[in-house]
Amino acid sequence: MTTPSLDRQVRELRSQLLVRSWEYRQRHHAHGVWFRFRRVLVDAKEAYAIPRPEAEALIANGSHAEPVGSELQPPKLIIFVPAERVRAIPTARSLEVRLSADLLQAECLALVPFEGVSR
Amino acid sequence: MAFRDRLLSTIRAARPVLEAPGTLVVGSEVPNLLEPGFAATLVVSQDLDIGVPVDGHAALKERLPGLREFEPSADEPSVWTPRSPDLLELNFVGMDSKQDPAEAYVLEDDRLPLLVFGGLALLSPGPQIELEGGMVRLPRLAGLCLEKLVTGRTGEKGERDLLVALALLTLARPADLEELEGLYRRLKPEARHAVFAHLTILSLLGPRDGMPDPRPWRNEVGALLRRLEAQGQKP
Repeated sequence: MTTPSLDRQVRELRSQLLVRSWEYRQRHHAHGVWFRFRRVLVDAKEAYAIPRPEAEALIANGSHAEPVGSELQPPKLIIFVPAERVRAIPTARSLEVRLSADLLQAECLALVPFEGVSR
Repeated sequence: MAFRDRLLSTIRAARPVLEAPGTLVVGSEVPNLLEPGFAATLVVSQDLDIGVPVDGHAALKERLPGLREFEPSADEPSVWTPRSPDLLELNFVGMDSKQDPAEAYVLEDDRLPLLVFGGLALLSPGPQIELEGGMVRLPRLAGLCLEKLVTGRTGEKGERDLLVALALLTLARPADLEELEGLYRRLKPEARHAVFAHLTILSLLGPRDGMPDPRPWRNEVGALLRRLEAQGQKP
């Protein structure tokens, strides 16, 4: 004996697996940007919104922009910097490290990595 | 009646089937049972998931008449509903160690059909815990944690499942993480990617009522992700 509900659950599971396959194939394409963006944020202990001139100055001084920032629209400048460097920026605004509206709206993000994480 | 008491009463009433060979308590109640004193502080669904190995299905069925405090649901015969509001539903699910974790099928049966979830192939018998004089078998922590991380669900249920994985991670010893790594290496690339994706989501989740706050554990979640990447198993 089977029941419609068990059959429906199997169909739902198979649908989820189809979505998973699709997400896997998308991982290097445009849709995969959200995974790549989250992956960068995983390494961030702290996040700050900073003004563009400050972000450009950090890049001029040797920091590099995370490639995933240019894959978003509008693009973002995302830079990992040491905690002391970002704290020296008086206009830096602390953000929670999560996909909040605040973080998504920030044009330039300075991220402080967890200790021992090299970016 | 407190949820903990309902959970323990349910386990006591379900003992005839829980003591069947190979049967495991699986699902979100496991971290509740692993809390000191079975404190059961996590807010999860009000059922007890019982993992039945497909090769132990016949033996378990013989024990069903012992479930005097439950009856099969008219809508869903893999669910047995309690006769008393002081007990939780029993939800029987199939485990097939030979199954691809990316598949699912129905084990058809007149008395107890089972949905066999591929992800449960990652589970293996773990510790027995003594509850009020009886023994209950739980799965090994590494497999259950990986099953939660590999199984894609969406919305509130999906996020709570990830926080259950976090609750298990907070209990993991170094040997558990090594075991998880070994199981991860055996996954197909799509499933590995799902684990990665879910770890990134878990790292960015906010707190939920009745669940561990993920924010203080972000570095541990990231460390697990980096550890899996470092094995050269990046999807």
